[in-house]
Amino acid sequence: MTTRLRGKAAIVGVGTAGLGEAPGFNAMDIQALAVHEALEDSGLKLSDVDGLFTANMSHTFPAISTIEYLGLKPRWIDGTNTGGSSFVAHALSATMALEAGLCDVALICYGATLRSDAGRMTPAAEQPTYEIPHRPRYPMTAYAMAAATHMARFGTTRAQLAEVAVAARAWARMNPEAFERDPLSIEDVLSSRMVMEPLSLRDCCLLTDGAGAVVMTRADRARDLPNKPVYFLGGGIASYNRAVSEMPDLTTTAARDSGERAFAMAGLKPEDMNVLQLYDAFTINVILFLEDLGFCPKGEGGAFVSGGRIAPGGPLPVNTNGGGLSFCHPGMYGVFTLIEATRQLRGTAGERQIADAETALCHGNGITLSHQATAIFGTAAAL
Amino acid sequence: MTAQLPASGPDLEFQTHVEDGRLWLQTCEACDRAIFMPRIICPHCGSLRLAWHPASGLGTVYSRTVLYGRPKPGDTRPTRHALVLVDLDDGPRMMSRLPDTDPDDIVIGMRVKARIEGETGAHVVVFDPAGEANA
Ligand SMILES: [Zn+2]
Repeated sequence: MTTRLRGKAAIVGVGTAGLGEAPGFNAMDIQALAVHEALEDSGLKLSDVDGLFTANMSHTFPAISTIEYLGLKPRWIDGTNTGGSSFVAHALSATMALEAGLCDVALICYGATLRSDAGRMTPAAEQPTYEIPHRPRYPMTAYAMAAATHMARFGTTRAQLAEVAVAARAWARMNPEAFERDPLSIEDVLSSRMVMEPLSLRDCCLLTDGAGAVVMTRADRARDLPNKPVYFLGGGIASYNRAVSEMPDLTTTAARDSGERAFAMAGLKPEDMNVLQLYDAFTINVILFLEDLGFCPKGEGGAFVSGGRIAPGGPLPVNTNGGGLSFCHPGMYGVFTLIEATRQLRGTAGERQIADAETALCHGNGITLSHQATAIFGTAAAL
Repeated sequence: MTAQLPASGPDLEFQTHVEDGRLWLQTCEACDRAIFMPRIICPHCGSLRLAWHPASGLGTVYSRTVLYGRPKPGDTRPTRHALVLVDLDDGPRMMSRLPDTDPDDIVIGMRVKARIEGETGAHVVVFDPAGEANA
């Protein structure tokens, strides 16, 4: 297992813009603001950026549109689009490109204005041919079927799913940038409108505008920049299928492989992680990923999240920004896992700060449980 | 060398059978596994030797969900649309519906049998409950 990339690059700047609602602005506008924020934060300039890592659903050629808008002339571009997991996967490929000398300053960015545009997901141009005649509603149908299968096989309950949404909201209440900050109880989740059995409205992520940007550079240069570097320790990706009907087992995702690869590269184990950022498009995701990444045995995720274990004050902090369920979800959420992990490892997460956080795991999920990406970060103490 | 195209594309071949009211699947002559969706290459072993065979159409509901639509003006009850994943006895899994079955009567693990329905030119594979007595 390769450890050649461990500790070779670091996140040195993060920025967000247009979180929630940004009427009158397009995706490239708010993406540019997030990039500006991230570069200011890093102490680097736009003209220093020579590596670009981006994907989106609004542009056919997202990387090319981004370089034109920002006036970049990158030496290296990675526009791999694996859905919402793209940016967690980009952290791995950015580290690789930096280490290989293909670029010196890597910019990972995303922006979307779903809420202001149409208030719904942008459908992918390519849809599963043999599913579409049956009128599924994507991405929700896939996650509802995963939840139904998990419940039937392991006895997972809707109240256990609700624990995930309630924990996310409790974190969001401590995050001034979060979109939904009203109190939320398990009863509120269970009594919210059913949208796709067994998932009710509060089992589903927000649909917002929002942009995020992350600047990475090689570890030696990162140490000379103003912020405490957040080192890349390990990463992995895994993918088995596009359509949910081709997914081998709806209760086990490819995160089992992406996580194993990331932990192997980092030389760490689940119990070494201080804070987790798990792509929570739906409540079932967090349960699946806690199991698949090795935080609890398969089938026990429902019991594992119960009793506030992943909520503020619980022993395993998950989605400390409020996640896609309560913080922000502009269609492809993954970049925000990197940003929140960075804030936690720098110790700048305000009221929601996890004391002495030295390690963080980011997990990205793409399309309909189709692509999984895991990245592990740490402070200098974790190197 | 350029690859030789088969007589018909896999999507067209599948749909030709469905339009005739039959569910046919490809089976790999190298590894003997049936596959769906239709393809030119076996995803299990990489062979191009895929032959079409009639399927039994019997299967088991692997997962199910019910989409609640917003009620139309004047209605109070939301529209409900059930979707299933069916594990065919022949091997592969497919997404489908049980159009003549109440969503509440569709449960994971129930036995089902394929049927073809729909407009000419847009026939699709759907399912009905199949008691084991009928299977
Ligand atoms: Zn084969």
